[in-house]
Amino acid sequence: MPSLPDIGFLRRVVLFKDVDEPVLLALWPSFRERRLRKGDVLFRAGDPGEELFLIKDGSIVVSKPVTGRVEQVLSRLGPGEVFGEMSVLGDEPHRSATCQAEIDSVVYSLDRDSLNRFITGSPLAAAKFFQHMAQVAFKRLRDASDLVAEVTRWGLEATGLDIEHK
Amino acid sequence: MGEASDKTAESRPKRTRIELLVRQSDGEGFETREIASAVAYLHSRPQRIPDADWEMARLPFAPQGVVTYALKNRRTEQIIQISETEKFLWEQMDGRASLQEIGTSYLLHYGSFDFEVIPTLIVKLLRADLLTMRPVSRLRAVLARNRRNPAARAMEGTLHALERLTVTSRRSHVFFERVYRYGGFLLFTPWALIVLAIMVVVGGRSAITIWHDLSEVTHGLASHPLIAILLVKIVFWLTVVNHQIIHALACVHYKRRVREFGFTILHGFIPTFYADVTDIFMATRRARVVNAIAGPLFHLFLGFFCFWIAAQLSPGLMQGFLAASALLQMQSFLISLYPFWFLEMDGYHILVEWVGVPTLNHDSVRFVRESLWRRIRTATWLTRQEAICLAYFTLSLASVAGFILFNVWLFSSAGKS
Repeated sequence: MPSLPDIGFLRRVVLFKDVDEPVLLALWPSFRERRLRKGDVLFRAGDPGEELFLIKDGSIVVSKPVTGRVEQVLSRLGPGEVFGEMSVLGDEPHRSATCQAEIDSVVYSLDRDSLNRFITGSPLAAAKFFQHMAQVAFKRLRDASDLVAEVTRWGLEATGLDIEHK
Repeated sequence: MGEASDKTAESRPKRTRIELLVRQSDGEGFETREIASAVAYLHSRPQRIPDADWEMARLPFAPQGVVTYALKNRRTEQIIQISETEKFLWEQMDGRASLQEIGTSYLLHYGSFDFEVIPTLIVKLLRADLLTMRPVSRLRAVLARNRRNPAARAMEGTLHALERLTVTSRRSHVFFERVYRYGGFLLFTPWALIVLAIMVVVGGRSAITIWHDLSEVTHGLASHPLIAILLVKIVFWLTVVNHQIIHALACVHYKRRVREFGFTILHGFIPTFYADVTDIFMATRRARVVNAIAGPLFHLFLGFFCFWIAAQLSPGLMQGFLAASALLQMQSFLISLYPFWFLEMDGYHILVEWVGVPTLNHDSVRFVRESLWRRIRTATWLTRQEAICLAYFTLSLASVAGFILFNVWLFSSAGKS
């Protein structure tokens, strides 16, 4: 658990920005602080996932294995951003991507049980949480489809294929 | 004017880049690299269609001083007009030269370079079906050159169909997790090593016993040659499945995912089982080495086990079959662990971990082909990596040559006897 409640930080995290302060204060002891050195792997694609993470400081690079030791960088996340929620809230219990620290970073983790207690104990706060979670999910979906389009364009440019006139 | 050029710049999309994360061989550190599509484009190797499928003629009615040619695709009857410089580029497109090399040749030949000429020509050639992807193997290249021959066409079609005959499961990880949980984990305990050591000693003694009675053992096989050959081959082929299963279990042992498990016809004629355990590259070096060595050790165990059982039996087909199977297992053990074949088998992966050159096979061939003679001419010392590449290439070449000579000798001796 981080020492003193940092409600100001939680307010900067989109998922908690509309949650009332007493609820946040009650939730605060459930967070675990983790300090990562540059290059530390928080979890790898395929690992079982039991926690979601909030980035306090630093930068986390999210990647997906492609071949051998090569992975595709999906995104970089910075302070105030959340990740790891898919395996905690979704059907698939395994991590969909690898997350590791690009520079020295500090993250707060929240495990599945604590999150469930928060959801069942504060339904109104949970509704606001999920409303913002949906926005995060929509943004992720948009970013993923943009990436697919970008990679497709990369492939066309790399092979010199002229689809328009063929 | 400025506004117009700004608009042109805006309308032309920027060349894309993809960002890749390349993990270091120890599995811990990493670096990110941006690869521009333009770089990949420069490394592509365009190949014109087979010579029999096209013809070229100089056009007589071109304007004064301008030489143009008609290039015809004989299969589709499409004709395009190309310039003298485009003809030069067309001649370079043999599937071996990259666009970068073609561009360099152009520059050296004409003394200047037009950045648009190559992409424009490629688009033109692709529209007329005059460029193809390079066939994957020499056999496929020969077949592609002889498509007019119905037999070659039929064989190419068969190879293509066989390559598509792949049975695969992408959900195999759960299965292997279960196998590991219900006993597979025992293979990765010290007990497994103790059992293997005992089997090596017991099986080794049995092999010596069998060697003394060799004529009786071979007589058992020789009395049923067809059944013996089929039995030995089929059972050996089935043990390949176990080799792959052991790799998959090693992958699970180190908490990595088995991405795929299945059966395929490799290169169109080698039926084989395979397990995609590339996720092990994400694990530690020890995990990768254990994963590589686990499969061959299975052959070692099975080989000595067969020797042991064979020694208990009286002479006959079964004893001969087990002794022959044991020899095949031993051969598989040695071949898969021996790294110098130009093939990336288990032993190669262990060697790569040891010397720390992940693309040793590719690098060694490339070094010998592109840089070695220059180094010899200029009499410069080799770097550590170049020395490793040269040693790997030399040993692999010697091994392959030795293997071929050994088989020639074996067949000629068998013929004489």
